[in-house]
Amino acid sequence: MRRSAHPAKTADAFARVVREAAFADAGYGYDQFGFHPPSLARAAELGAPIYERYFRVDSRGSDAIPASGPAIVVANHGGVLPVDAAMLCLDLVRNTEPPRVPRPVMDHFVPHLPFVSTWFARLGGVSGTRANVRALLARGELVVVWPEGVAGPAKRFRDRYRIQRWCVGFAELALRYHAPVIPCAVIGSEESWPLLGKLGKLHTFGIPYLPIAASPVPLPAHYHIRYAQPMWLDDHLAGADPDDPDVVANAATRVQVALEQLIDDTRCARRGVFR
Amino acid sequence: MRALVTGAATPLGRAVIDALVRDPDVERVVASAGANDPPPPPPVIFEPAALGHARDVHDLVWRATSRHHVDTVIHLGAPCDPSTDRRASAADVLATRRLVHHCAEHPTIRRFVYRSFAEVYALEHAASDLLDEDAALDFDPAAPAWLRDRVEADLAVLGHAGDGLSIAVLRLAEVLAADSGSQLWDYLSSRVCVRPLGFDPMLNVLSLDDAAAALVLAARSSATGVLNIPGADTLPLSRAITEAGRVQLALPGPVLGPLYGARRWATGFRFRYDLNLRRFHFGGLLDGGRARQRLGYVPRQPVRWPRAWWRVLIDRLATRAA
Repeated sequence: MRRSAHPAKTADAFARVVREAAFADAGYGYDQFGFHPPSLARAAELGAPIYERYFRVDSRGSDAIPASGPAIVVANHGGVLPVDAAMLCLDLVRNTEPPRVPRPVMDHFVPHLPFVSTWFARLGGVSGTRANVRALLARGELVVVWPEGVAGPAKRFRDRYRIQRWCVGFAELALRYHAPVIPCAVIGSEESWPLLGKLGKLHTFGIPYLPIAASPVPLPAHYHIRYAQPMWLDDHLAGADPDDPDVVANAATRVQVALEQLIDDTRCARRGVFR
Repeated sequence: MRALVTGAATPLGRAVIDALVRDPDVERVVASAGANDPPPPPPVIFEPAALGHARDVHDLVWRATSRHHVDTVIHLGAPCDPSTDRRASAADVLATRRLVHHCAEHPTIRRFVYRSFAEVYALEHAASDLLDEDAALDFDPAAPAWLRDRVEADLAVLGHAGDGLSIAVLRLAEVLAADSGSQLWDYLSSRVCVRPLGFDPMLNVLSLDDAAAALVLAARSSATGVLNIPGADTLPLSRAITEAGRVQLALPGPVLGPLYGARRWATGFRFRYDLNLRRFHFGGLLDGGRARQRLGYVPRQPVRWPRAWWRVLIDRLATRAA
């Protein structure tokens, strides 16, 4: 796998391309989900030093992302808070040409959180409902999903990089919209901010648990982001019926196997956690 | 087409009648409103009726519509002000039930178009941002009575689908206009708009012209079932407050209910926070895909914001200078 063909952009250049990136403006500079490109540009400017210097993100294979049309990036999930999701989304905008705005799919409890819900919406996040994802794919957008959901960040440190519960909804929508699926391994997040424990009885604002992190801030682990080649889930399934649960489950398993392989390869290839 | 329009004295009723009168395919327009409401100018035929009375509803359908050979009914209901008392809202539900029942029995009425509301959909944090026609309705028993009445009226009309009457239920986004029962209009009319701290949901509002255009399109078409009618303006709540030229203040959500309750009690302000609580947290926009496909409806006309007088003056001076 080769390094991304598109060199990382400077913060200013990045802000410019995000402002110029195509999006479905609903009339006042926001799309229907509340996405606001200048907010994403501002966040990217602030996040650039963290991406470049703190986590020293090493990204390869982003040229596998289609330049246009619907596509689904499927990634593993880990760490106390979704820092891995932030790095992945930042990576997608920085390393795609023309720049594509990633639309991360959030868990159902996120819209309940004050400030966070609004902030995520302005940066392009959408609540994880079928209707939302369907609308984005129909519009030809780049959707980013973490099929493990909350189970990913909630796992114990000894289970790091082991895929947990695997939701299959993304496979059904990929079949329905003939969208390519790009497995993406994010390595470094699990060691960066390990989970020490969780308070499962605290559900303020609908959160599933209150995490207890091993460190107050994420440790500067070296992040590695690897994209696999796009998978067309209906390739091997002529006339694949997205309403057939077996077809959908098989398609989702294919993606899971590909992602696990990618994770293992990337972990083996890295020299160390912090190097 | 020979159309009967109920609720003709409301701003939406007047806009629908204007649109029908301009339509060359419409042979006759019969307008129904309360006996004390001003009659519309000719060529519109005025039939006064108090829809809260069973006899008036019966007579409107069996005498007036027969006399004028009406084949299409556009039911807008009574002026639906959510801040009015429970009885007015319940009476409107009952009137809707009676009207659709009589129309289903009537030999010449073939088409029934009902104006429903986007508020019938359940809004919660796990719901989609885009609400299509299959989205869950709000059956929460703790919901305010006005909301429950709207759901009941909506379902009462749909219950007559298949009775030989061609029924279209149009769930309209909030029509942002004065005297149209718009909660958001009242909210944006105050100098300081208080919104929940940490939440800035997306809103979609509909202009009177677009609402009237959608109702007329529905009356002319043969599309049946539920159709969502979104407006041309989609924006965050904070931006709507800015557009109206008001001062915004964000306070913790639990404070807002008592604050607006006290304000309502003291000043007669119509805005009710309990009716808008979920919308002010989770948004929820209508997906107009089906209306676009089946009616050819596309929202075009932006709303007129309830702007402060000084803002209107500045805009006019700026326009003149330009």
